[in-house]
Amino acid sequence: MRRGFPVLAALALALCLLLALSAGESWIPPSGIWAALARFDETRQADVIVIYQRLPRALIAMLAGAALSMSGAVLQGVLRNPLASPSLVGINAGAALAVVAGAFLLGLEPRAQGSAALAGGGLGFLASLGVARLAGHAHDPRGLALILSGAIVSMFLGGLTQALLLSDPALRQDYLGWLGGNVSHVHAERLADFWGLAALGMAAMLLLARRLSLLALGAEKAASLGIDVARTQLLALGAAVLASASAVAICGPLGFLGLVVPHLVRPLTGARFGALLPGCALAGACLCLLADLIARMALAPLALHTGVVLELLGGIAFMLMVRRFYLRGAEA
Amino acid sequence: MIRIQGLTVGYGRKPVIRGLDASFAPGRFTALVGPNGCGKSTLLRAVMGFLRPQAGRVTLDGVPMARIPRRALARRIAWLPQENHCPDYLTLGELVEMGGHARQGLFAGPDDRDRLLFREALRIVGLQDQAHLPVNALSGGQRQRAFIAMVLAQDTPVVLMDEPVNHLDVTYQYALLGLVRDLTRRHGRTVVSVLHDLNLALSFADEVVMMSGGEARASGPVAEVLNAANLREVFDLDAQVIRHEGRRICLPALPEPSA
Repeated sequence: MRRGFPVLAALALALCLLLALSAGESWIPPSGIWAALARFDETRQADVIVIYQRLPRALIAMLAGAALSMSGAVLQGVLRNPLASPSLVGINAGAALAVVAGAFLLGLEPRAQGSAALAGGGLGFLASLGVARLAGHAHDPRGLALILSGAIVSMFLGGLTQALLLSDPALRQDYLGWLGGNVSHVHAERLADFWGLAALGMAAMLLLARRLSLLALGAEKAASLGIDVARTQLLALGAAVLASASAVAICGPLGFLGLVVPHLVRPLTGARFGALLPGCALAGACLCLLADLIARMALAPLALHTGVVLELLGGIAFMLMVRRFYLRGAEA
Repeated sequence: MIRIQGLTVGYGRKPVIRGLDASFAPGRFTALVGPNGCGKSTLLRAVMGFLRPQAGRVTLDGVPMARIPRRALARRIAWLPQENHCPDYLTLGELVEMGGHARQGLFAGPDDRDRLLFREALRIVGLQDQAHLPVNALSGGQRQRAFIAMVLAQDTPVVLMDEPVNHLDVTYQYALLGLVRDLTRRHGRTVVSVLHDLNLALSFADEVVMMSGGEARASGPVAEVLNAANLREVFDLDAQVIRHEGRRICLPALPEPSA
């Protein structure tokens, strides 16, 4: 299974991508997709749908899925806590508050809101880190202080966001959707703005893969094996925050991927980050594409928000996973 | 040669070790013995540079330990902690391979010599057929042997071990410490190990450092230093050290039955 997984996952992703481009209100066969990609013709309706709607949407879903899943795996490894994920260390809540506050108080344009989300995500994480420091994070080997302070900071920032939303019913309508995480071709220009930063974060995580594997043995054991622990942790956290905050900047705070995907992938790839991270990228991209497909198709012509579908799927997946792995662990 | 001079170190302000002097020479197996909480593990962790000394210094071949970068240090000293953690789904083979990390480049994997070393390390601890199994699926004793194999795979001139054979059955206790002694005798390695079983120290170690209350009360060749008088002082224990067929055996007196 371990050897075959990357190939299987890549095939599954290719299939999902094909499906995501073909399926929708109108079915476009693979030959039509090929025609749109190879000889784009603005007068053909199918070409316009593929290039301006479905392709950007699929690319956003894949990038967000990959970035959030990899970040989740890295956060779980560095903090040595299986509950760590971008949404639980203040990144999502910070990005959400920055976007809402920017729009309500400063009247930021939609395009500038991406930058606000990136900055807010980073600040949300730093705030969580700061609260954790106050709580004595340095003497906490399981990263529990950071998880708890992440929850506290998320609640606090979430409260501020809610207060702003409630103050203005007109704008509330516009932002409720984004706050649930929304993959949409409307955000294609944000994809153009932020894919580079997300890719940079993901590349940095891949470069750190071997050191991250050693870090999972414990900070002191890793140091005795030749790792500069503080530097590796700092670089890895920075890369994870950069990648996930960029994803949130593009399509809003998608929950669950970062928490669930690493747990799904780990039994299939093993614990080494050199295999785990590419596995998370492929599986995360795949799941996010599927969730987006379901969001578009399930109640067509009504489109659900991808974030909503992901939370539903993620919840079910997590329940099955807990049942399977924890109960099996109890038997052993 | 590891030299420790006037080392005072602890957690927070309170020192656990006070003004300790010791040295560990190449080709010698030194046992650290002493009652619980006397600072044996702390001493090893201080040597590894995980604790900042309040006074004194630790040098490796004359160079202060704190000046040697982690990667270079990992090629010279291996450390087996008392408690070992392993993430789920990591296999025994993968764990042992991680021991070779400091010798490998950023992208290069293990070379043929490394692979030979990994196989040999697994063979020594008797787990050669289990390389594909998840470490966390092994029994406690097998897991301890897995981490010993990882330390062997690090292939360093100095090996520090904190209670290496605690969870092992008697056969493996003797087999593995015999192997560790060979590392010193045949390969000139420096081995320092915390041992609780005084008979293991008497059987395998060349030198002993007897600690209590954060100080080295006695140190030197094990045959001379691990005697009844020192056991009384360090452990507050009545014990005989008797000779049997050229070996020394520590036999503690039974406590008086309470009335």
